[in-house]
Amino acid sequence: MEPAIEIRDLRKSYGDVQALDGVDLTVPRGSFFGLLGPNGAGKTTFINVLVGLVRKSGGEARVFGHDVEADYREARDSIGLAPQEFNVDRFFPIREVLEHKAGYHGIPRERASERAEEVLKRVGIYDKRDTRFDWLSGGMKRRFMLARALITEPDLLILDEPTAGVDVQLRHELWETIVDLNQRGTTILLTTHYIEEAERLCDEVAILDSGRVLDVATPEALMDRGTDDVVVQLREEPTAVPDFAARDDRVESVELDGTMLVVTARQGGLVAPEVVSLLDDDGHEIVDLEIRRTSLEEVFVEMTRQGEERATPEVSSS
Amino acid sequence: MNVDTTGFLALLRREVLRFLRRPRNTFLPPFITNVLYFSVFGVILGERINEIAGVPYILFILPGLVVLGAISNAFENTSFNIFHGRWNRYIEEVLTSPLSYQTMVGAYVLAAAIRGAIVGTLIALIGAFFTTVGVVRPLYLVAFGVVITALFASLGVVAGLWADDFDDLTMLNQFILRPLVFFGGVFYSLNELPETVQQVSLLNPMIYMVNGVRYGFLGVSEVDPNASLAVLAGLTAVVITLDVALFRRGYGLSE
Repeated sequence: MEPAIEIRDLRKSYGDVQALDGVDLTVPRGSFFGLLGPNGAGKTTFINVLVGLVRKSGGEARVFGHDVEADYREARDSIGLAPQEFNVDRFFPIREVLEHKAGYHGIPRERASERAEEVLKRVGIYDKRDTRFDWLSGGMKRRFMLARALITEPDLLILDEPTAGVDVQLRHELWETIVDLNQRGTTILLTTHYIEEAERLCDEVAILDSGRVLDVATPEALMDRGTDDVVVQLREEPTAVPDFAARDDRVESVELDGTMLVVTARQGGLVAPEVVSLLDDDGHEIVDLEIRRTSLEEVFVEMTRQGEERATPEVSSS
Repeated sequence: MNVDTTGFLALLRREVLRFLRRPRNTFLPPFITNVLYFSVFGVILGERINEIAGVPYILFILPGLVVLGAISNAFENTSFNIFHGRWNRYIEEVLTSPLSYQTMVGAYVLAAAIRGAIVGTLIALIGAFFTTVGVVRPLYLVAFGVVITALFASLGVVAGLWADDFDDLTMLNQFILRPLVFFGGVFYSLNELPETVQQVSLLNPMIYMVNGVRYGFLGVSEVDPNASLAVLAGLTAVVITLDVALFRRGYGLSE
């Protein structure tokens, strides 16, 4: 079966600016896929190529096997998009906006009305159904964007910064709704710069920077690339500590500050037992132990900073 | 009903409801303007103007006023809706749907033509209040009505895609549409002009529209109605083809 999204050497340039610079990416069916990147990395451009709002300059893009240009109708029909910026018809109450959108996708009127009620209830703004979009509060507007993406029962749901500017409670509600959809088989493509969101929700994430995919991996695999701190509180200040680095090449540094020992290592969780047993063997008494895991955010910042460094000489040489 | 028909009807419905639900914007302005035209030009001035081509002046200007109202409303509907949709980006609701480009253009143009036809009919009814008017050649009237509203609706699509600003649309209306209409034989007969000016006037497409509709109402025309109809229908087909090509290319719609 074809993957939900298959991208080969995708390019988009605006004059001299390469918004997408040879992107290769495969999003498997049914996955919950994250697209992470700093502002201007090309995330929205990437999404807009899929739905036909941006014309690609080169490469191939397929959605469930349908080419986004040659088979644009099939490709677009399978996608539900909740864009970052509000682009909602302001002349009609939101219920009718949903009915119209469903109609454009070939859903008959009666069914479209039922669907509109269902999705408005699902995102919790059913009592606002006769209100126009402009009169909704910020949080309700975000809810509506999700409702509109769901009205056509898409196989691929694309959410571009769906929780930008919403409060914690709504964010969790939206997460619940999306996770539920994913569990029922909808493929989700999520862009966000709340890294915590990707860490919690995504099976796999792609890191996009300056129009290129730097890496694709599970959030756990990415986090394993960062270093964790194993912080050990000793009863007494030691005169010497074991040479952890010699025993385990995952250990990168060891610092001793009074009775507090900090061992910095990759996969800190796995290194910690060894640290404890070595200290124990040497007769040190441990009063407290803490493992400070690196966050996906730290790894992300590190990766995209390297990206900037890589990009700089290219610009000057061109 | 298949997917294409459902999609087409949904967009058509959206476009038609948008103007029907705002009668103050859609119907009140042409109502007031035309009551003024008929009272001032038709009744007050018209009584001092001789018959033209054997018809009283008020009756002579009626078809022209119908054309003026019909085409400007058809043009405004597509140009405003498409431009406003781009401006506020809600046209993306249509663009990201599986509608074919032909279907999108078809629905926009038909809805605008319907608006033009309704306003044209409204103006004819206002005219009937001021003078006795019949329809001598109903088939010609309908044929010209369909073609000219579709032509200006499809021209409005181009304008809506081209405009970068609301001012651009105002400019088209003030500097192109209005002069063409005023020199298009709405208020005077071609025969009243010097020979050379008559020849130049024949380059103005409005002459053929006004005369065609006049032929439908009164049975008199200063140009051949069949030739006019054929040329206008051809022109409409060309502009609609251009609309579809522009949508396909994403002109003004995609980056």
